[in-house]
Amino acid sequence: MIYSYLSYFVIVPFIGLLISLFPSNEQEKLLYRIVVATLVAHIVGALAFTLLWISNGMPVLTEKALDLYNSSSESNIFLDFYFDRMTVVYGMISSAITYMVARFSRYYMHREKGYKRFFNNLLAFYLGINCIIFAGNFETMFIGWEIIGVSSFFLIAFYRDRYLPVKNALKVFSIYRLADVFFLLGIWIAHHLFEKSITFAELQDIAWQNYPIIQQHSHLFALLPYFFLVVAAIKSAQLPFSSWLPRAMEGPTTSSAIFYGSLSVHIGVFLLIRTYPLWQNNTVFCIVLIGLGLLTTLVAGSIARVQSTVKTQIGYASIAQIGLMFIEVGLGLHTLALLHFAGNAFLRTYQLLVSPSVLGYLIHDQFFNFIPPQHPNEKTWWGRLNLSFYTLGIKEWNLDRLLYNFLWQPPKLIGLLFRYINSRIVAIVFILFYVFGFYTSYHHELVPDSWAHLLPEVFALVGVLVALKAFTERNSATIALLMIVINQLFTALSISYNEQFEFHEILLYLSGIVLSGIVAWACIQRLRREGEPTDLNDFQGHSYERPRLTMAFMLAALGLSGFPITPTFVGEDLLLGHIHENQIPLTALTAISLILVGLASMRMYARLFLGPHIKGYHEVAFRSS
Amino acid sequence: MDKHAFNEHHVLHELKHFLPSQTPLKDFIHHNSLHAFQEMPFYEAIFKARKIFGIHVTFSMNDYRKLYEIGRIRLEIIDQVLQKRKGNDEPATWREKMLQKSYISTRLPRIGRLRANWKHLFHIDLDNAVQPLFFRILCSYLDQGVAIQHFPFENDGLLSAVRQLEQSSFTSFFKHASTRKLLFDTSNCTIPKLLERIVGKEAYFEQYLFDQQFTHRGWSGIVSAIEDNPSSILYAKKVNFADAIILELLLEIDALDSLLGKAWQPLCQKLNEPPLDLFADEPLSEQEEVLSLWQDAFEWSYYDEVLAGVRQLNANKAAVAEATETIQQRFHAIFCIDEREDSIRRHTEEVAPDCETFGCPGFFGVEFFFQPENGKFYEKLCPVVVTPKYLVKEYNVKGHRHHEVLYSKYSHSFLIGFFVSLGLGLWAAFKLFLALFRPKMSPAISDAFAYMHIDGELQIENKSPDDIENGLQIGFTVEEMATRVENLLRSIGMVSRFTPIVYVVAHGSSSANNPHHGAHDCGACSGRPGATNARVFAFMANHPKVRAILAQKGLVIPDSTQFVGAMHDTAADMMGYYDEKILTADNQQRHRENKELFERALDLNAKERSRRFASINTNADLRTIREAIRKRSVSFFEPRPELGHGTNALCFVGNRNLTKGLFLDRRAFMNSYDYRTDPTGAILLNVMKPLPPVCGGINLEYYFSRVDNYKMGAGTKLPHNVMGLIGVANSSDGDLRPGLPLQMIEVHDPVRLLIIVEHYPEIVLKAVQTLPDLYQWFTHGWVHLAAINPDTNQCYYFEDGQFREYVPLKGDIETAKNVHQIIDKSKEMPTNYIVHATEENIPVHILDK
Repeated sequence: MIYSYLSYFVIVPFIGLLISLFPSNEQEKLLYRIVVATLVAHIVGALAFTLLWISNGMPVLTEKALDLYNSSSESNIFLDFYFDRMTVVYGMISSAITYMVARFSRYYMHREKGYKRFFNNLLAFYLGINCIIFAGNFETMFIGWEIIGVSSFFLIAFYRDRYLPVKNALKVFSIYRLADVFFLLGIWIAHHLFEKSITFAELQDIAWQNYPIIQQHSHLFALLPYFFLVVAAIKSAQLPFSSWLPRAMEGPTTSSAIFYGSLSVHIGVFLLIRTYPLWQNNTVFCIVLIGLGLLTTLVAGSIARVQSTVKTQIGYASIAQIGLMFIEVGLGLHTLALLHFAGNAFLRTYQLLVSPSVLGYLIHDQFFNFIPPQHPNEKTWWGRLNLSFYTLGIKEWNLDRLLYNFLWQPPKLIGLLFRYINSRIVAIVFILFYVFGFYTSYHHELVPDSWAHLLPEVFALVGVLVALKAFTERNSATIALLMIVINQLFTALSISYNEQFEFHEILLYLSGIVLSGIVAWACIQRLRREGEPTDLNDFQGHSYERPRLTMAFMLAALGLSGFPITPTFVGEDLLLGHIHENQIPLTALTAISLILVGLASMRMYARLFLGPHIKGYHEVAFRSS
Repeated sequence: MDKHAFNEHHVLHELKHFLPSQTPLKDFIHHNSLHAFQEMPFYEAIFKARKIFGIHVTFSMNDYRKLYEIGRIRLEIIDQVLQKRKGNDEPATWREKMLQKSYISTRLPRIGRLRANWKHLFHIDLDNAVQPLFFRILCSYLDQGVAIQHFPFENDGLLSAVRQLEQSSFTSFFKHASTRKLLFDTSNCTIPKLLERIVGKEAYFEQYLFDQQFTHRGWSGIVSAIEDNPSSILYAKKVNFADAIILELLLEIDALDSLLGKAWQPLCQKLNEPPLDLFADEPLSEQEEVLSLWQDAFEWSYYDEVLAGVRQLNANKAAVAEATETIQQRFHAIFCIDEREDSIRRHTEEVAPDCETFGCPGFFGVEFFFQPENGKFYEKLCPVVVTPKYLVKEYNVKGHRHHEVLYSKYSHSFLIGFFVSLGLGLWAAFKLFLALFRPKMSPAISDAFAYMHIDGELQIENKSPDDIENGLQIGFTVEEMATRVENLLRSIGMVSRFTPIVYVVAHGSSSANNPHHGAHDCGACSGRPGATNARVFAFMANHPKVRAILAQKGLVIPDSTQFVGAMHDTAADMMGYYDEKILTADNQQRHRENKELFERALDLNAKERSRRFASINTNADLRTIREAIRKRSVSFFEPRPELGHGTNALCFVGNRNLTKGLFLDRRAFMNSYDYRTDPTGAILLNVMKPLPPVCGGINLEYYFSRVDNYKMGAGTKLPHNVMGLIGVANSSDGDLRPGLPLQMIEVHDPVRLLIIVEHYPEIVLKAVQTLPDLYQWFTHGWVHLAAINPDTNQCYYFEDGQFREYVPLKGDIETAKNVHQIIDKSKEMPTNYIVHATEENIPVHILDK
């Protein structure tokens, strides 16, 4: 039956992506043809599939595609696909927009140093978004989520030899990382509640609401959708996370159009509709969702009003519309939300793609129709309020500062406390401590019970501290790398202390880390051997001279942060599965560890290989440009 | 006076002198990017700029060596340059230095060193804390109409506006009440007082301000440029450079209060090193010396070939020239001197061998402000340095301008946005689809032909001397017209043998999605399409009373001769004609035939241009190529609708015969000038006067944007974000990017302009020496000057205040049957790295018929 071919829609972009890695940057025609062939194969397949599906009365389809990890117990992780009305709408629109953007970019990107990189990332994005759209369970969706996050990072930092793109790419990546961890936590709770990896098909049948375990954990169940709300709010740049979006418009206009004008930002709406069964009877959540949407619409709308640059204006306008979509979803008006999504996605894509022409058009318009604007009334209370909103709008309601102060300032400050600690001594202490932990995890009898149940948290806390050190390390990349690996060891230790589980699960988790660690270490050694600076005090920009080494290190950094290219990704999921639902401190610490390690890895990559090249023998951009 | 006393007025003046002077992008005026250094000899100037600002002013040593390896720089030229510049100083060792010796070049620029101490001593990133908000406020204040809600109180300057806003608003731009208080404390809110708090010691004030303003030279530059030239924006605002500095200083204090706590010490409190003299003179280092030798060799490897070509071409031409001058010609066409018109002139002459083409600055000697019908402003249509006293108004326009609903800024408000996205989302998708697969002209595209309506009428003749609007006389009197017509015709040597139709062909450029479209229009018309000027000139030259006056002065234009204004769209390769209805029946017939010829020339021109465009197959048939060229100019996805002035390198002043038959690959500005009509050089001076600032300005802007596209150019266009309709920046928080984008300069070989005049060297020397400003361009080497003695065909090069004979080294110049033969074997650059890019530029050929 053709219906069992749902995985086609993910496999095609994946194959396309792999093939597109082979041509050189100068083979523009070939690269473009690969992209178009991939897109056409996908779109034609999708059209045929959809027609067949309609003729069969539009049933909801599902396909279990691939076991990623299958053990006897509950912790079963597999890829699963799903096909319904929303899949069709999102799938069609994202294919149409991706195709048009690819076509637009064919000559637009001509002779860019990153022509190939651009199309690689476009295909990666396409793979990611189809992973999400066709996902049948949270795990599959999460993979797509990560792929989009990383391709987003690479496209923001597309002009990797300038300071601002790299800085902003890191900023956006760190917010995305927060979303990733919330997503993982959501999956973790869902695992505990349903005692398995639940599929969206199973969610539709709300008989599960009567499961005893859900009845038992009604609070946890009520809490679950909030995790996905945070994820959706981050990806769709809702409050209080909105300020990342205008800062993400660093890449070529075409990539900004597809990511931040249309497809990537609307994926939060998709997630909310997919998780609808989880919260449809949760009135409080609905109110929160609608409230968030409303607030975002008003605030982003007021910011959009005062934007004096074209792209940020479109960005905030899009955020405001997505806020309205959140309201629509909260009210259960899913069809309206889908229509609204379609319209907004097309509109903003178009507006962004033609944004450079606004200068000529508006100047011309002004030449014939200019009327000097009215003076504001500063006497009345209303007039003064209006001016206050103006000031707030210019300052983006302090959203950027807020995020920085609450999310990134604390770890930075704590991490800086360790600045003066001699790393060699620390390393020895850690190793001794680790050996102790490792040994006793197999010989529980050696540790008094009163300690033993505290030890997982202690190990996790040590892990967090180590990660902080890695995150703020300025002097040596090697130390940062070492800290990242040590953190992962401690995380694994703390979990294995928590609950006896199979050794090979840890092995699965650590295999990717160790492999990535070795690759990263080799790259750093190579730089050092060739006399290049490897401190993390400032951006070094080694990608200018060493594109291949950059690529290798990038893969290693992705591996270290648990990106789905190594088994660590599955291990991460398994690991979380071994934390009990009532172990909030341990969960929190592990989550923080995961965030920090991801950030530390990408930061290390960015500092070493991206940014303005430190050697001044060729042209380097001003920092502010 | 104390050397370290701070003189605010002086420092601000100096700052403004060194900041980029590019005005808002609605007009694009090319100028020397290092205009502030123009008082110095070229190499001293550029290397000084390098030391101060850390910019690249030549290629790197490695690039030159690679250019040598591929043969672009010739060994014989290296030897010649060394002989000339190091003659007594062992050329062999210098050659060794050029080719072998390795140099290390990681010198910190002088600018920025003082403020770097915020990071070194205080461990804070002050720029990151201040710039995003500062840029936002500046951009919102200057904004011409992007934002729905505009910056209030813009009548009295930025600082006053911020004060009024802070007074009325319940919220504040500042984080601390103390800073807000300081804002209103007018006696302490001055540059010296604020610097006192931030910097501490007066001796460092100047250096600090330079450091600060040059961390965002784009924004500071635009503020300074608008202050000097308020009419460069349509929505008038009072702009004051000092205001911007004070606001930035306040924001710095505000940020320092947050970053360092309330009790921070000024930056220079504990500083021991003395303030740095940013502008200290330093002799050229050996490395710089070698780089300058390389650059000379790079330039002369090309110039030598050109001069050899001219010599070879003219060796036995005199007889031919005599012959052509006796036959009756079909038509004359006056084009702009623009180097892009080189090829259309060549092709026109090819399809119509019995025509003659001329070149002159594209405003055709008529300077005025233009007001389109219903336009609320005037636009200057002449070189930027000229301030016209005349106004030409358009009236009786049929048809009206269309709007693009998807461009409305109200689609960005959330309520209207809701209906627009629901109602017009699919329309946007459809529009995008059309834009990709069926690109065509639309109101959102800058259309050169839409600048002035083809069917509108112009008020050119002055009705009465009292007819004055805003201090400008409406139209020209007959005498004023006659003077202008006479001046132009005499300067290009068109004084006899008038043909039935004389075309006056202006140029403009259509392009889509291109904030820099003004840079493609006519430089002699302040970066605008020149159609109006062509039309105005044709009207004047056709005026019976004007002709009567001219006849009195010995310039007899036969009644049968009619002038026709026209415009060539250099991107779309289309030509439009104005006021065709005035032609007599005979001339109507001739005009129809001539139009056919122009069409054929345009076909060939399109084909020649297409060799550089990846999207077009040069071997396709002419019609297909022509259509593809037209489509590029209306394609939103095409960042290279045309290549602008890329590759410009030469400027000929002389008869067409001097260059006719020479294939110069669209690299030469060409100004017609007949030495025979001007034995004293009086006309020559007027011809020469605008060339260095206009052509030299274009050339030097391309030069610097090419050698350092990151710092002197605007970088790649693709991430550009339009800021307040005044400029482009790379992202939401970025600095404005003056200069030319990568897509415009990648074909350019950065060589200085070589002006080649056909006249006796002593006359040329006398002419250029008349005006010190003009003369300085040549003595300081910002533009090269050569003369061709018309009698002997010998070439002279201007150096050290005199002309010396130059004998070209290049022997035989390659010949070709026709242009297509040359194009067919031309190469395509694999990347835009100079060593690859230069391969695309074709050497000089002689077209041997």
